Amino acid sequence: MSNSAMLLAQAGAEVAKVSTGEAISFWILAPLALGGALGMIFARNAVHSAMFLVLTMLSLGVMYMVQQAPFLGFVQIIVYTGAIMMLFLFVLMLVGRDSSDSVVEVLRGQRVWAAILGIGLAGLLVTGVAEALTSVRPVGLAEQNAGGANVANIGRSVFTDYLFPFELTSALLITAALGAMVLGYTDKSKRRTQRETADARFRGEHDRPSPLPGPGVYATANSVAVPALLPDGSIAPESVSAIIEATASRELATDIETVAGAIPGPDAHALKPAAAKEGDK
Amino acid sequence: MLALQPPPQAPIDAPQIEYSAILPVLILLGAACIGVLVEAFVSKASRWAAQVTLSLLAILGAGLAFVLYVTDSPERGLTTLYRTIAVDRPALFLWGTLLALGLGALLLIADRTVERGGAFVAQAGIRPGTVQDRAQMASGGMQTEVFPLTLFALSGMMIFCAANDLLTMFIALEVLSLPLYLMCGLARRRRLISQESAVKYFLLGAFASAFFLYGLALLYGYAGSVKLADIANAAAGSAASDTLLFGGFGLLVVGLMFKASVGPFHAWTPDVYQGSPTPITAFMAACTKVAAFGGILRVLTVGFESTSWEWRGVLWVVAVASMVIGAVLGLTQTDIKRMLAYSSIAHAGFLLVGALALRPEGLSGTLFYLLTYGFTTLAAFGAVSLVRDSNGEATHLSQWAGLAKRSPVLAWVFAFLLLAMAGIPLTSGFIGKFVVFSAGIQDGMAPLVVIALVASAVAAFFYLRVIVLMFFSDPAPDGPTVTVPGTFTTAAITLGVLVTLVLGLVPAFALDWAGTGTFAF
Amino acid sequence: MVGDVSVMAQSSGSDLGSYLPLVFLLALGAIFAGVSATLGALVGPKRYNRAKLEAYECGIEPSPQPVVGGGRVPVAYYLTAMLFILFDIEMVFLYPFAVSADALGVFGLVEIVLFIATVGFAYAYVWRRGGLDWN
Repeated sequence: MSNSAMLLAQAGAEVAKVSTGEAISFWILAPLALGGALGMIFARNAVHSAMFLVLTMLSLGVMYMVQQAPFLGFVQIIVYTGAIMMLFLFVLMLVGRDSSDSVVEVLRGQRVWAAILGIGLAGLLVTGVAEALTSVRPVGLAEQNAGGANVANIGRSVFTDYLFPFELTSALLITAALGAMVLGYTDKSKRRTQRETADARFRGEHDRPSPLPGPGVYATANSVAVPALLPDGSIAPESVSAIIEATASRELATDIETVAGAIPGPDAHALKPAAAKEGDK
Repeated sequence: MLALQPPPQAPIDAPQIEYSAILPVLILLGAACIGVLVEAFVSKASRWAAQVTLSLLAILGAGLAFVLYVTDSPERGLTTLYRTIAVDRPALFLWGTLLALGLGALLLIADRTVERGGAFVAQAGIRPGTVQDRAQMASGGMQTEVFPLTLFALSGMMIFCAANDLLTMFIALEVLSLPLYLMCGLARRRRLISQESAVKYFLLGAFASAFFLYGLALLYGYAGSVKLADIANAAAGSAASDTLLFGGFGLLVVGLMFKASVGPFHAWTPDVYQGSPTPITAFMAACTKVAAFGGILRVLTVGFESTSWEWRGVLWVVAVASMVIGAVLGLTQTDIKRMLAYSSIAHAGFLLVGALALRPEGLSGTLFYLLTYGFTTLAAFGAVSLVRDSNGEATHLSQWAGLAKRSPVLAWVFAFLLLAMAGIPLTSGFIGKFVVFSAGIQDGMAPLVVIALVASAVAAFFYLRVIVLMFFSDPAPDGPTVTVPGTFTTAAITLGVLVTLVLGLVPAFALDWAGTGTFAF
Repeated sequence: MVGDVSVMAQSSGSDLGSYLPLVFLLALGAIFAGVSATLGALVGPKRYNRAKLEAYECGIEPSPQPVVGGGRVPVAYYLTAMLFILFDIEMVFLYPFAVSADALGVFGLVEIVLFIATVGFAYAYVWRRGGLDWN
């Protein structure tokens, strides 16, 4: 991506003088875009990867605007940085932030071959296209943005030459909505009304008919970790969020086990240190 | 510079649109939109009836509009909607084929007698294997969204055949693909394998679309236009680097070949054909093949005929690969749906032979072959859906042993369809192969035709193996039963078998029609 | 932002100096954000309490997340994302239409209304089928 941007910048330098502002913005945006791209590849966390990609796309969007293609710039930001990246993040969340791919190869040597062929194809395309682009005669900004109206010209194009593809796009959008509904939505048509839920509570289908008591708030403490007192002065344990209680015991569980000797310590005779215990996070 | 407030522009003129020519497509698109509204506003109980009525009326209406237009359509064809759509004789032939095949596929999709409640899941959002999933298995409903989706896919296919520029072709490609990806995952039984097939089809299809789009971009860089005719003009006399032209062409062809499940781009076909609900497999196998080859024919003939010397050798290799892969791997299959999938890959190779013969005989031969193959394969998958045991369809070949003793009618029908696919005389498949191969020989592609003949002989072996299995083996004691189909499936299978028979006996009228005109651009 | 840019474009010459106010605005925003965040960390009192580290200090328990999957979210969110993209794409087409609406005239209006209406069908479907309800 940034390769082609460089190429464009070079081509621009040959055709016309690059203004100072353009040069400055390029040297700010290009490292940002490149850094984002590298960060995307090398970030360990998938969400961070996605965020780096946002940086790259934003930089590219601004670069397009600087190159006098405001529509492309806006679309880059609206569609890619906005919509597509949001979808990326959603997919990451759906799959699970920390889940990783299985490393078992079904076909032996598949990864190596995929890498070789993929890099080969990329190399072929990049060198071929880079070489071929020198012989392409650009239309030129003046002609393309005739009347100083890039967006208006695109509007004309969309509503004349490409009218039919444009209208057909709505069929795609409808299909997307249908697909999302069909695959992602289950019709829970038998939802209980509020009245029915209340009846069910008093019939004993839930643990207790009333909500849990709130935590106690005293003059000495304003923390939700302080339990409430019942009318007889005793402590109401359910008034404290279970998570607060659970956190302590969960965090300490490993320590307790280690102290009690439940977890075997490092084996002096082992060649490698024992694998860390999986599970408790 | 960056003036977002433009100076006043000259107003545009409303275009002259030949509504009568594109009316069939407009009817289908409109009906699909109404179908979405039916999903929104009609109660659950009456949705199925409403959708089936609407979809059938839409296809019949589109067929009527089509017939009315065809009777006095201009000989040379016309282009409309700012030259994005070319309604010419080949496009009309393909439209007629698609409408008839679409009707048959719709009948299979709408059927609720073979599988109680239809071949589609009641709620696809429920996870397979859960308690809720078992509850919905017992219920009789189905996702009626498949009807508008089918109409969208069908209209996308029709536009794909008639698209006169690559951008329209790309959008049409997506309009036809997206519903198919979705419907592949909606099987009522064996839902996991169905969903797996949908994911595979979607991911690989997205890659293929990306290839197509990249090719489109390179060709635009080469010709400065996405119109096929402009690309052809630029190729005839342009100083621009040929790297762009052939790079773009190569990438474009990858996308097209993927959709047509040709040769080395076929990897999705067996899995998707096997996992999808069988009515969708029938729809996909018959209609997508027709649409994709319609697009391939138009791109090769209109856009790249003048440079055919350069790229022809590559497509020879692709055609050979497709025929060999289809015929050889078809031999090793034990699942009837996978076997038919490999058969479709082999047939794609045969079709490519016709498409590579860039001459009127090649065009008409390929069109005719598409017509015959579409109906045969539609009926074949319709028949596959009838052989069932308690777990749903019995697709393993061993379960088909001795089927003739349980249900002679189905066995004979299926045997006839397999013979047509093998290309035995007196079936449409023979005529189809004959016209395509003779066009190849006339164009000096004798070596390719010889390979094609060998491949069809190999392929004939695995068709005959099924016939032998059905007629000369003893049925297993706990073998599958043959469901007696309701009106819809019976009608669809009958349609396919009749067309296969008629085109085998009196092919002249269809051959004449296929050969009446060339592409307009 | 669009308004800003067009005003600048009219008022200034042909180089990128017209972007200067925009850069100034961005810098101002960055400085404001940086200063507020740092100031809060420096000046604010720090009294440790375990409950404060929970996602909601007011005591609402976060819904339990499966530890194994690494914090998955329900697939129902996907519907929302998809709908957002739907209207996002629609907006992308509205933008050039709005800019050249004068030249496109009644014909363009009919076309864009057709487009909006068809996308509206999808919206009606999602709405009626309960896709916008949260349960």
